[in-house]
Amino acid sequence: MRILIVEDDVEAAEAMCRGLVASGHQCVVAADGAYGLKEAGDSDFDVYVVDRMMPRLDGLAMVETLRRTGDQTPVLFLSALGEVDDRVAGLKAGGDDYLVKPYALSELVARVEALARRRETGSVQTVLKVGDLEMDLIARSVHRAGQEIDLQPREFQLLEFLMRHAGQSVTRTMLLEKVWEYHFDPQTNVIDVHISRLRSKIDKGFDRAMLQTVRGAGYRLEA
Amino acid sequence: MRIASLFRRTPFRLTVLFLALFTTAAASVLTYVYLASAHEARVQAEQAVDAKLQALRAIYASRGVAGLNQALIERATGGDDGLFLLRSASGERVTGNLEASPIEGLPDGEASTSFTLTEANDAGRLVKITAWGREVRLSGGERLFVGEDMASGQAFLARLSEGLWGAAALVFLLGLSGGLILSRQVERGMAALNTAVEAVRAGDLNARIPLRKSGDELDELAQGLNLMLDRLQQSMANLRHVGDAIAHDLRTPLTRLRARLESALIEVEAGRGDPVQALSTALSETDSLLKTFNTVLAIARLQAARETPDKTVFDAAELAADMAELYEPAAEDKGLEFAAEVEKGLMIQGDRAFLAQALANILDNAIKYTPAGGAVMLRARRRSTGEVEFSATDTGPGVPRDERARVLQRFVRLENSRSEPGSGLGLSLVQAVAEAHGGTIRLDEGPGAFGGYGPGLRVAILLPPA
Repeated sequence: MRILIVEDDVEAAEAMCRGLVASGHQCVVAADGAYGLKEAGDSDFDVYVVDRMMPRLDGLAMVETLRRTGDQTPVLFLSALGEVDDRVAGLKAGGDDYLVKPYALSELVARVEALARRRETGSVQTVLKVGDLEMDLIARSVHRAGQEIDLQPREFQLLEFLMRHAGQSVTRTMLLEKVWEYHFDPQTNVIDVHISRLRSKIDKGFDRAMLQTVRGAGYRLEA
Repeated sequence: MRIASLFRRTPFRLTVLFLALFTTAAASVLTYVYLASAHEARVQAEQAVDAKLQALRAIYASRGVAGLNQALIERATGGDDGLFLLRSASGERVTGNLEASPIEGLPDGEASTSFTLTEANDAGRLVKITAWGREVRLSGGERLFVGEDMASGQAFLARLSEGLWGAAALVFLLGLSGGLILSRQVERGMAALNTAVEAVRAGDLNARIPLRKSGDELDELAQGLNLMLDRLQQSMANLRHVGDAIAHDLRTPLTRLRARLESALIEVEAGRGDPVQALSTALSETDSLLKTFNTVLAIARLQAARETPDKTVFDAAELAADMAELYEPAAEDKGLEFAAEVEKGLMIQGDRAFLAQALANILDNAIKYTPAGGAVMLRARRRSTGEVEFSATDTGPGVPRDERARVLQRFVRLENSRSEPGSGLGLSLVQAVAEAHGGTIRLDEGPGAFGGYGPGLRVAILLPPA
């Protein structure tokens, strides 16, 4: 994947780049919104990672400009501003996700990959398939190797999110944000308990565990 | 106060303006009354003259010049204060109480005129009196003049105008001095105000405007400004408090982190420690430091602003149900019985994320401090007062009554809780969130002690309804 990082803090940008490269991606760094626009125009990227506050052209203005010119590349905003209003402003300007500084590198990588994936599977799907696991979104049923699995509504949503991001790491914060739709710090790892319950339902009795824990990052559903 | 500067003062200018208006109005009224009275006097004189002329002509018609002459003499002596003159056809004076006719020449038919008489008044002084009269030519060629003086009307007018001018002069004087006093007073009030504003501008936020206790609008303004300054000062103090709190609260963990890194470095240099282990410990310490920083900042901001930044109206029942659903597995995993009782339709106005955090904190505490085999219950209901109450009740060791206020303070952790992970900020944040929503936090004893459990703790968040 090619990722454009638009960030005026050179050190932070380099650290991001190293993290992305270590996960097998390529990255280009632009020091502000104006350079960012230029880079975005010169070549294709899979995801833009854009800092909100920069000299010259700020992140919001840059993304608004890109969207006006028809560029639909997913945008992950980075910001030191974490209030709900700031988040809403970022999403309104055309951002697809919002990450508040300071963040863990693993969180950034997971979100970038999730955004790129979302772009690939743009079409509306009614059945999700990962390995021998199958989810029918209309009948709201889940089967693994032909065997029906009974899930609670939230477990269903959780598995749907994991299946849509199969093969990628998803963090606990991402799950709380995208599945429960809450932005707060749950103190203890309540998400882990939900995952382990889901795991016992989809992996118990099968020879291979699909739902894996990624150390230091979160979870990954593997085919 | 110089005259020039006096004229720049609003109250004085208003006084002068109103005096001018009053004077113009008085003059207009006076002129109108004067003209109207003069006209009325003239009309009355005319009517009297015509009535007398008619009567005298009738006498002349029946009894001739001699009869008229007789009648005129009778009238002059009989108390008629009219003016009469009978002249012969050639213009010679025949009889009457006028020496000469005010009518010039010998016009044909009728002629009338206004004229002045000089008479001695009651005090013996000579005064001029306006009179009006008409002369008619009788059938025998004699001319009869009848006139009326308008002295009574004139005297009334003179008294009226004297009175009015006197009143106007008095009003003018009173108004002027009143305006001056008013200007002075306003000036004094404004001076106090200006002094205070000047002081604040120079950076003295303690400056206040002294109240004169008069309850007037200047006092009201002063009071408003004083309140504004109070609030401003409070905000500044809060801001300073935020800075102080953060500095104070982060110094300890930063110092600890630094010490850990330093000792790790020494160990690694000596070839003993594991660098990866040291780094990952440092990383997780940094994370918890950042978490602490964010929480302290959030508490300080909530306390400073006294309200949350993102207020929306939403159903707290949904929020409580979500939180119960989120925390139930964690409670059960620990071997706790978990129950949630959530009433439907609890509309409140607030910040959803902050309230979620507050509920998460009290649930997290309840689960953390209740030993396996115990129970945790979340309730959300509307009290009879209309307030929305969230409460988490546990069967853990509870918090002794005299410690309950203390555990709300930042970084306060009870002795027996130190073995559990935590920063000592959880309940402080809950309190800040509750208060920022105009609510309160309450700590009470739980269900009581039984079989080695308890007495438990009940933490309630009370919020005003939307």
